[in-house]
Amino acid sequence: MVDWLGLAIPFAYLAVLIGSMATFSSLYRKRKAAKAASLGPWFPPHLQRNIYLSLLHLEGSKKVPDTVLKAALLRRATEDIHRIIAVRTGKQACSNLLQRGSVGDELWQRFQRAERETEEELRDVVNEANGIQPGWGQTIFQSANEIANHDLIRRRIAEEETETAREKDWWEKKRAGIQSDFMRELEDEKRSTSATMDAPVLATNKGGAPVNAGTRGGSDDDAVLVEAGGPAAPGGTQQQTSGGGGGGKKKKGKK
Amino acid sequence: MDALAFTQLPLAYDPDTKAVSSPSAPPSLAAELADLTALHKSLLALDNPSKVPPPPVPVNPRRSAQIQKLRESGNAAYRKGQHHEAVKLYGLGISMALSRPDWEPASLVREEASGLFANRAQAHMAVQQWAEGGGDAKCSVELKKVGNAKAWWRRGKCLCEMGRWEEAREWVREGLGMEGGEADLVALSKEIDAALEKRRK
Repeated sequence: MVDWLGLAIPFAYLAVLIGSMATFSSLYRKRKAAKAASLGPWFPPHLQRNIYLSLLHLEGSKKVPDTVLKAALLRRATEDIHRIIAVRTGKQACSNLLQRGSVGDELWQRFQRAERETEEELRDVVNEANGIQPGWGQTIFQSANEIANHDLIRRRIAEEETETAREKDWWEKKRAGIQSDFMRELEDEKRSTSATMDAPVLATNKGGAPVNAGTRGGSDDDAVLVEAGGPAAPGGTQQQTSGGGGGGKKKKGKK
Repeated sequence: MDALAFTQLPLAYDPDTKAVSSPSAPPSLAAELADLTALHKSLLALDNPSKVPPPPVPVNPRRSAQIQKLRESGNAAYRKGQHHEAVKLYGLGISMALSRPDWEPASLVREEASGLFANRAQAHMAVQQWAEGGGDAKCSVELKKVGNAKAWWRRGKCLCEMGRWEEAREWVREGLGMEGGEADLVALSKEIDAALEKRRK
């Protein structure tokens, strides 16, 4: 006859042992998961992925054509290229910092999670691409890499263009400033000579006009120059009129 | 992050304008959707029936040939002294080089556009448009830093002409670092040093 009471003791022992182990393990895992979840993500939310999946899940009359999905998947792959580059370049630096103790273990964990997620994401994109068009998975990241480079080029050129426009404005103003300064100097000179000697005013004015033309020969409105010089010449005996001519030129210079 | 989880965005597609849009989208989403729409349109313009971008190489040589042609006619105009015409032709070439479809090799864009920008800088300089010339030369350098001594020199020269000596010195120094003792750049650097010396006195 089996001794049930005698057998119950080892069974009870086993039950308690396994039960406590299971409780500990589940608690430990829960806590670890909670801790991992509380760590901030390395990358911001994947906008392109959200767009792609949102488009994919549009149903019925709102269903989008395949080409839109292809474009959205390409955009998603482009963002993944940025991320995988960030991960690859950051990895060495991050592990160095960790070894030296400059950063905490938490940062390293976040980084590793980001790396894992990015790799999963790449596999996912390849699968999606092959699902849309067999064989596309092999080339989608080549294309995405070029798109990423193109984006960079476009951004830089656009920046340079705004910069150039600003420089151009600045230079036009400065050139106008230099010219008006020069004109003023010329006027002052003229005034002083006309004040000392009344008779040869006409001569100095005549001398003045070619000088003007010479200084502005480099600018693009030569035609205006002659015109602007015109009114000053006939009434050249008066200081006022020659001053007016100078003013007119200033405006032309700013144009 | 769960592999299957995602945020459902309120998106809508308009078959007429071929635009994907979202009501009251934040700026980042709106910008991304604009990029998506542009990419979609360029996909639709593809020849192949699957509308999937081909691998980056081999490249369709048609666009390169057209760019080359614009460049040559620009060079011809420049040699004849029609500098404004040359600026226009180079500009056309630049926009053609920059509008190459996104999935084609970006290195090709850099190569072609940097040459055209350098040439346009020279044409601008011939008509004394220093600001534009300097900007174009900078774009050229931005696209191709090494082996582009002419563009380095041109921007340096433009800065000198505008009287920005300090900037010119910095620029030429950087250029010398990249190009390593290019004779023209060395000469320009000496010129700048002399001018700065003179101004200090």
